[in-house]
Amino acid sequence: MAGTAEAQKQVQDVTGEYKYGFVTDIDMDMAPKGLSEDVIRFISAKKEEPEWMLEWRLKAYAAWLKMDEPDWAKVNYPPIDYQESYYFAAPKKKDGPKSLDEVDPELLATYAKLGIPIREQEVLAGVEGAAKVAVDAVFDSVSVATTFREELKKAGVVFMSISEAIREYPDMVKKYMASVVPVRDNYFAALNCAVFTDGTFVYIPKGVRCPMELSTYFRINAENTGQFERTLIVADEGSYVSYLEGCTAPMRDENQLHAAVVELIAMDDAEIKYSTVQNWYPGDKEGKGGIYNFVTKRALCKGKNSKVSWTQVETGSAVTWKYPSCVLAGDGSVGEFYSVAVTNNYQQADTGTKMIHQGKNTRSTIISKGISAGKSQNTYRGLVKVMSGAEGVRNYTQCDSLLVSSECGAHTVPYIEVKNPSATIEHEATTSKISEDQLFYCRARGLGEEEAVAMIVNGFCKEVMQHLPMEFAVEAQKLLGISLEGSVG
Amino acid sequence: MDDAVIQSYEKQAEALEGSVAGMDDLRAKAIKDFAAQGFPHVKAEDWRYSDLKTLRTKAFSPANHAGETPDIPKAFTDCAARFVFVNGRFSESRSDMGDLWQAASVRPLANHFMANPDRAAELVRGRDGVGMLNTALAKDGMVIAVPAGVEIDDPVEIIHIMTGADDCAAHSRHIVELGEGASVHIIERFIGDDSSYWTNSMLQARVTESAKLYHTRLQEEGANAIHTSKAYVNVGAGGQYHACNLSLGAKVGRFEAYVRLLSDESNATIDGVALAGTGQSHDTLTHISHTMPHTTSDQIFRTVADSRGKTSFQGKVTVDKDAQKVEADQSFKALVFDRTAEANAKPELEIFADDVKCSHGATVGDLDAKAIFYLTSRGIDPVTARQMLVEAFAAAALERIEIEPLRDALMARVGDWMAERKAKPIPENKSRVE
Repeated sequence: MAGTAEAQKQVQDVTGEYKYGFVTDIDMDMAPKGLSEDVIRFISAKKEEPEWMLEWRLKAYAAWLKMDEPDWAKVNYPPIDYQESYYFAAPKKKDGPKSLDEVDPELLATYAKLGIPIREQEVLAGVEGAAKVAVDAVFDSVSVATTFREELKKAGVVFMSISEAIREYPDMVKKYMASVVPVRDNYFAALNCAVFTDGTFVYIPKGVRCPMELSTYFRINAENTGQFERTLIVADEGSYVSYLEGCTAPMRDENQLHAAVVELIAMDDAEIKYSTVQNWYPGDKEGKGGIYNFVTKRALCKGKNSKVSWTQVETGSAVTWKYPSCVLAGDGSVGEFYSVAVTNNYQQADTGTKMIHQGKNTRSTIISKGISAGKSQNTYRGLVKVMSGAEGVRNYTQCDSLLVSSECGAHTVPYIEVKNPSATIEHEATTSKISEDQLFYCRARGLGEEEAVAMIVNGFCKEVMQHLPMEFAVEAQKLLGISLEGSVG
Repeated sequence: MDDAVIQSYEKQAEALEGSVAGMDDLRAKAIKDFAAQGFPHVKAEDWRYSDLKTLRTKAFSPANHAGETPDIPKAFTDCAARFVFVNGRFSESRSDMGDLWQAASVRPLANHFMANPDRAAELVRGRDGVGMLNTALAKDGMVIAVPAGVEIDDPVEIIHIMTGADDCAAHSRHIVELGEGASVHIIERFIGDDSSYWTNSMLQARVTESAKLYHTRLQEEGANAIHTSKAYVNVGAGGQYHACNLSLGAKVGRFEAYVRLLSDESNATIDGVALAGTGQSHDTLTHISHTMPHTTSDQIFRTVADSRGKTSFQGKVTVDKDAQKVEADQSFKALVFDRTAEANAKPELEIFADDVKCSHGATVGDLDAKAIFYLTSRGIDPVTARQMLVEAFAAAALERIEIEPLRDALMARVGDWMAERKAKPIPENKSRVE
């Protein structure tokens, strides 16, 4: 069918040509290759961390050594040699206090090329009159710049790299770090605890609505390095924050490891909106190279009527292993998960969510859209669990898969575990290709084949895309190759 | 796993040497695999909702012929034949051979491979410890072969009775082979007393071109029993496997159906109802493989869990590469009656072809308070109202049984089960905080 060929081409456009695959030539500080206690001491010393942090890392390392790599996901990759990677790589910096003007021009050029505004007052490329966005730019293992700090400080918002937070707000970091994702939670989380190098810390005080979107932009640049970042966001009573995360990496033939941990904590009536456009290098058409994206993301809706919303557009990475989850502990708390995952060529994505309902009248919504093309494998894996004390729980799950080649795979593995009779749980899943009926309908109304396919694909993803903040939606739609006029889908 | 348990089963397998013609090699291999692997643990993905702790900690000896003659339950409808197995052993005296032998070949497993021992290799070996042990220890079973073009009108009933079988197990293996265009309806019943026995049964079937196998199962094991059973079915072009399972008994019950649709227009229709009372766990696992284009499958499952009851459903549909134009549907609905009850579902789709229509839906909740209110406001007492609603709920999964008296008998079982539940107060017509 011509329509299918068209759709294939479009997905090819999205994931086939990787536009961010360049390398920045810059002097780097590297840790010795491999992983050992000494390397962890090196990282900790480089980051001028307090003693307690080092001890915490070493404990995590000891725990990791005893753990096994998970093998239950529907992904295949050769065994990872953890000694073949560098665990710390940072651009060499001059001494003295760092202000934006002192950031290495090479770096500024890199971010300019990526379309990320590191200079204040700039807005995201291509969006006229968009709101201000504060950016924390993480380059390999360190945060190189954090913008709009002063303005955020006035509002009481803490937005800084996690390394700084460990020094400046040790009590808060000690209290919340690993409180949502315990050190021993899983293999990759434990590894992250031992070797994490940077990331973002956000604290929104009581009753504050964060005046601008916050974002972190992750860039892997150095060869053979893993990126291990941690993000910790605490939204105090009645506060609101919208947080964006983006990521890219150069094209390389070898695989690189990215194992992040993201923890969100929402107190009473607080709301966190967390959006990701994941565009790590996916490998070439033969499946060579690309990022292994093994990420643990979890939110704790601790307070009453708190709300956490995960929105993700996953287009990159050779292998994705990622399940942004919500622990709905507070009564009346709400968890949401909106996801579009596109895989092409030899990409493999095993992604989904967990909604753990502990509190009364907690609600969750899961909308997952998978599009698989080429020879890729795309799996939705999700858990909805209702504890026996959770009265009045409501869940709605919908996961749809669209297949655009006869050699790809689309899989759905939902788990539903209910221990309370007052729960209402609904789950629906469909898998299909673009139906000829739909195409015919559109064509009969004068749309070209291309337009028709675009419209259908656009409609397929719309429920998720509309949850992205405007600045991001533009990028994500560009990424999906879907223009609003419905020209190319 | 306990070494003593494994050794005990190794001895049992050894003792069966020579008991079934042609099976010795298979037996030896199966027990070796079992010894290496043991019983599946809850950490094994397919077994996450069923705990076989009892099996892991003590060995079940082979069940002996019972002293007393247990009552044979009345047939649901006219049968072409009724085969009775007491404690896993075929009891010819209690069976009724009817006139089935005139139309089809009927043989006990022990004689089946005598003429052609190589055919023993066709036996399904089982992929987990439970299946392997069935292969290693199965001694009895029925082999029913229906020749091409022959349609057996009345159902064939296989009755498994367990009596006075504390710490004993029965491993049976039935084989059904349908020639081109043949059809038969097999009813399997499992009943038993209060002894703590283990039934481990397997049925394997080959449904060739345009043949139809109907398979209705009624599991009413004793209250302390462990019940594990598996059905392996291969379906050829235009063939159909139509199964319906009702699980009521046993402490830990599990039914697995593995169906491979091997050619154009083949179909699998699997329905089931599981009702779990206090302390019971019912687990159902289905795996339908669409290996060829134009194959279809349809599944409807309904489960109800009362106080401290647990129902689980794992339904997997796989569509192979190039198996285009496949249509697969699956619906699972569970009722949970109180906070100590539990319902688990894992409806899984694994699809490697693009031109397919596959869907599944799953819901979990309690009976609709509004529906109960509606019925009670019309003068129906709440107990009856709940019973009516549960019967209607279960009917969706039972109504595709084509033999009316059989369907009615199974429906009546659902009604009786509800009648045994304690009367519950009318739930308030609560409005949720939303």
